[in-house]
Amino acid sequence: MSRTIGRRDFIKAGAGAGLTLVVGKALMAGPGAAAKAKAPLIGVGIGEDYGKAAVKAVELAGGIKTFVRKGAKVALLPNVQSRHPGSFTKPEILRAVIRLCKKAGAAEVDCLSWQTVKQWEDTGLKAVIESEGAFLKIFEKDEALFKPVPIPAGVALKEARVLAALYEHDVFINMPITKDHAGNKFTGTMKNLMGLNSPVNNRTFHRPNWKTDPNDVAHLDQSIVDLNKAVKPALNIVDATEFIVTNGPFGPGQLFRPQRVVAGTDRVAIDAYCASLWALKPADIFQIKLGGEQGLGEINPDKVLVKEENI
Amino acid sequence: MTGSRRCGTAVLALTGLILAGAWAAGARAVQDDLRSLLPAEGEAKGWAKDGDPQEFVGEDLFTYIDGGAEIYQEYGFRRVIVQDYENAAGKSVSLEIFEMATPAAAFGIFSFKRSGQGKSVAVGAGAELEDYYMNFWKGRFLVTLTGFDDTTGTIEGLLAVAGTVDARITGTSKPPDLVAALPEQGLKPGSAKYLKGLLGLNNVYSFQTARGLAFTEAVKGDYGDGSTLIVMEYGSAEARASAWNALRGFLEGSDRFARSGSGQGSPPLFRDGKNHYLAFAAAGSRLLLGISPDPSASLAIVGQSR
Repeated sequence: MSRTIGRRDFIKAGAGAGLTLVVGKALMAGPGAAAKAKAPLIGVGIGEDYGKAAVKAVELAGGIKTFVRKGAKVALLPNVQSRHPGSFTKPEILRAVIRLCKKAGAAEVDCLSWQTVKQWEDTGLKAVIESEGAFLKIFEKDEALFKPVPIPAGVALKEARVLAALYEHDVFINMPITKDHAGNKFTGTMKNLMGLNSPVNNRTFHRPNWKTDPNDVAHLDQSIVDLNKAVKPALNIVDATEFIVTNGPFGPGQLFRPQRVVAGTDRVAIDAYCASLWALKPADIFQIKLGGEQGLGEINPDKVLVKEENI
Repeated sequence: MTGSRRCGTAVLALTGLILAGAWAAGARAVQDDLRSLLPAEGEAKGWAKDGDPQEFVGEDLFTYIDGGAEIYQEYGFRRVIVQDYENAAGKSVSLEIFEMATPAAAFGIFSFKRSGQGKSVAVGAGAELEDYYMNFWKGRFLVTLTGFDDTTGTIEGLLAVAGTVDARITGTSKPPDLVAALPEQGLKPGSAKYLKGLLGLNNVYSFQTARGLAFTEAVKGDYGDGSTLIVMEYGSAEARASAWNALRGFLEGSDRFARSGSGQGSPPLFRDGKNHYLAFAAAGSRLLLGISPDPSASLAIVGQSR
């Protein structure tokens, strides 16, 4: 199923106001072991069957029931930025995650987006959503559909404007593909949250002098980190199977194939792990460095428990 | 020459001028409509249009390439048209024709997008074919074609569609003069990247928050000995000197860089966190930067280009 939800529909549904979310608190990051573990845990499934790799990664990260309880309403955020190979979350990974959520007893699984239906069609993700009995909820780029979320600890961004429909869900699972980015060299869990923030607010991440002023270039990374202080996924499942390492985020570009799916709760640790897959030094990626410095997660690989398993 | 013959010659010349003018106007009109650059039905043998074209102008590029439009804007973007093609076997090719502000901008974004590791093919003013996609530039245009697999049929489709677009583009195709600042000896084919700003530079070498990098244009080339040369143009020797003072101050105060020994009178030398050596030299309005794991190689490449 897919439909475009406009401002009127949203207000009619009674969801435009009164939504609450404690800033920085995970959306239903259940009482499971992963949430309580001292060292951040990353699960990595490796193999040519990307669906099975996703299942394995989640299992190693604590198991889906750690994050999705029976009857939960789940929001998913795959990346549908472009249809070029290696630039969007693989349909087979989305299929596996929807099935996992349903197996855990989720009452409803929704993919939320303000991107176009065409993008979901072109990437093959819409067909997966429909065939698996999940829902594609596409919203107009109407500022009224985005909830102002203050960021007291924000350095560059003091207020995010997050798709309000997110707050109708119990669990949020972030599903980016890791890849190159011409602006800041890397896309991962943190950057993907821009897909839930309003396009108008996203534009403030780019300052007027971003072409000439290095601090304005860095402003983008700081804004991404600040956005991540406002929204905390219960789980991140990253497509690191095959992705572009040049001409990102849109492509087409050179493909790199580590054939891995990476799952966990610590976004900095996951992004650092993914960056190192293609020989990037995490400390050189500004958003990862800032995220680590500002308490979003662990950048030091020696302090992260990584469980890898071939399938 | 008789009067009538002179008159006839003048008429012919005038007719020629009118025809030439009409042709030029026609060419402009053709280029004014990006749709006229799209291969017509049957023109790219075996490939037919699939759906309607999409067009994005100026800032609307952010709608098409959300999160990735900035690099096009940095070079100078005007508009893009996107059209899909498919063949009888169900293979697809996506065609994007980007109209940039100038031929230099078109060359710049072409040089940015090519990997330098693909196959050079004779299309447009320069083309590189990668596993499943290709880029070429001609005049003010960058053309990107993407297949969705790397089968022979798809690659043939890329080349067929590219060839027909190439034939429809008019205009001059001269790379920016600064590209010639890269010494040819040892330069890796396809490695030259023409840069117009920090985004491009950050993809070549990241100084993160360094000052002094507001060059007007720059060019980067990779060399066979593993060194890289970046030539940054500042417009005047004074502007270059001021920029260098700012950059040097940053490097000397940063924990990411360490001053490394170079003899008196030798170019300043710094070592970065990856143990690459950065040698700097001035040449009029240009700042030269050599980068290599070998300090003598970084010094040599800037010395070669002075």
